[in-house]
Amino acid sequence: MAERYSSFEPKGTRWLLQRLTAAFLVVVLAFHFMTLHFVNHAADVTFAGTQMRMQQPGYFVTMVAFGLTATFHGVNGVYNALVNQGIEGTGKTAVKWVLIVAALLLGVQIIRVATVMAGVSIA
Amino acid sequence: MSQSYDRGLIEDFGRWTEFSAGMWAWIFHKFTGWVLIGYLFTHIAVLSTAMSGPEVYTSTLQGLEALLIVRFLEVGLLAVAVFHILNGVRLLFVDLGVGLESQDRSFYASLVLTGAIVIASIPTFLAGAI
Amino acid sequence: MSTGITEPETEEEQETEAAGAARAAESAHQQARMEKKEIDEANRDARRQAREAVEAADRTVELKVFRFDPEVPEKEEPRFDSFPVPFTKGMTVLDALMWARDHYDSSLTFRHSCRQAVCGSDALFVNGQQRLGCKTQVADLAENGVPETVRIEPLPHAEVVKDLVVDMEHFYDQMESVEPYFQDEDTPDGLNEQRQSRENREEIKMSTRCIWCGACMSSCNIAAGDNQYLGPAAINKAYRFAMDEREGDNLTEHRLNIIEQEHGVWRCQTQFSCTEVCPKDIPLTEHIQALKREAVKKNLKFW
Repeated sequence: MAERYSSFEPKGTRWLLQRLTAAFLVVVLAFHFMTLHFVNHAADVTFAGTQMRMQQPGYFVTMVAFGLTATFHGVNGVYNALVNQGIEGTGKTAVKWVLIVAALLLGVQIIRVATVMAGVSIA
Repeated sequence: MSQSYDRGLIEDFGRWTEFSAGMWAWIFHKFTGWVLIGYLFTHIAVLSTAMSGPEVYTSTLQGLEALLIVRFLEVGLLAVAVFHILNGVRLLFVDLGVGLESQDRSFYASLVLTGAIVIASIPTFLAGAI
Repeated sequence: MSTGITEPETEEEQETEAAGAARAAESAHQQARMEKKEIDEANRDARRQAREAVEAADRTVELKVFRFDPEVPEKEEPRFDSFPVPFTKGMTVLDALMWARDHYDSSLTFRHSCRQAVCGSDALFVNGQQRLGCKTQVADLAENGVPETVRIEPLPHAEVVKDLVVDMEHFYDQMESVEPYFQDEDTPDGLNEQRQSRENREEIKMSTRCIWCGACMSSCNIAAGDNQYLGPAAINKAYRFAMDEREGDNLTEHRLNIIEQEHGVWRCQTQFSCTEVCPKDIPLTEHIQALKREAVKKNLKFW
């Protein structure tokens, strides 16, 4: 039987966001691969080289947006895969909160690392 | 009713030779998705060496890149990411209602294109380590 | 029950009755013996006929049929029975099953009714795919004509009651939950009828063909994993009514509210298996996608 309303699932917002982030990631992930494997070679990466890229404001913003978007897209994907497989009840709630916490931690770390890479020191 | 027999999900994977294109696409997209999210966490962890200073960062990354196995893993990562992107684009078209009649052909196209891109990239990826 | 007034029995009548009962008991036993003899003979005849038919046929098809019966000791553990069936031109899987049942084992149980693909009773898992028994030509099952064996099983992802019969209650529950009936009682102003344009009819035409066979839901891996998922048939039904212009906007919104819940349209991963197996060629995935877009559009208006 159909469930009653759940206030946490506002009508397919996550479905739409997954598609929107997907469209963004297609472009940026391809760009990231090109930059770090073809334009520059991964084997030649140094902190100095990284810093040079990350100090350009456009690049920095793009990378941070990339990281946060990928985090949402990936964690949301994991959650959906598990719901499709049939988790429910307390297991589902537990998994949901673990994923949310993991995503937040990852997001924060991405911002911290990006900042350090740009040459701004965080104590 | 008294008892009924539940055959479970195990029977499904025994039938893999009978899977359709759409089903393979779903399976691969899920599999590559898991790999990518696993990689994301690992990648950020490795990049976090930046917080320990330039030397640690540089030596970690270059040390990893010197290992041949890491190069092969990167080719694998490329394959996984390219498939997920190409099939993802296919899914975006399906979601927009475009081209549903050729959805199975577009899956095969993604596979072929993934293969082509990966093979073309192998020289670049392995350069300096073989 | 007799409505006549019965007189109480006299003693004499009781005695005669007792003797008659004894004789009746004896001849009842005799009767049972004679009946068993007839049945055995009929069975032998049937088996002989089956053998002769099989030998005389140009080709035979081996049916491998899933058997299960919790009430019969030999069939408590599922097994496959083999029935060689003589092939005749134009034979469907249902025809073959009925021949096997009539000539080999009358306990072989499966649902069937119209034999013309409109009742939806005989959805089966034939040679690895969900198909209607009455609609599937045996000759179409192999690449070069008639196959050697035909493997017939009950629909996957459903609980088996007996042999090829599955429990359809879950399927019906999901269908009922989308309110699969026309609800608008109001007629437009000035008219006595609810008119539908040709274009609108075309739009929903394919979605009206559903015969509730359950093949689609059985083929969907999400439906298999997530028990609360509405399933392609239910969502298609919702599409049929939500896109029908004769129902007012409030009703349409109500219908969309049902299918846009967490285990509604969003669970569909566009696997396309449902579209592939639907015996009425309904483009199910397309309809589900359309409803996803409708739900998104409706909710965007809120911001």
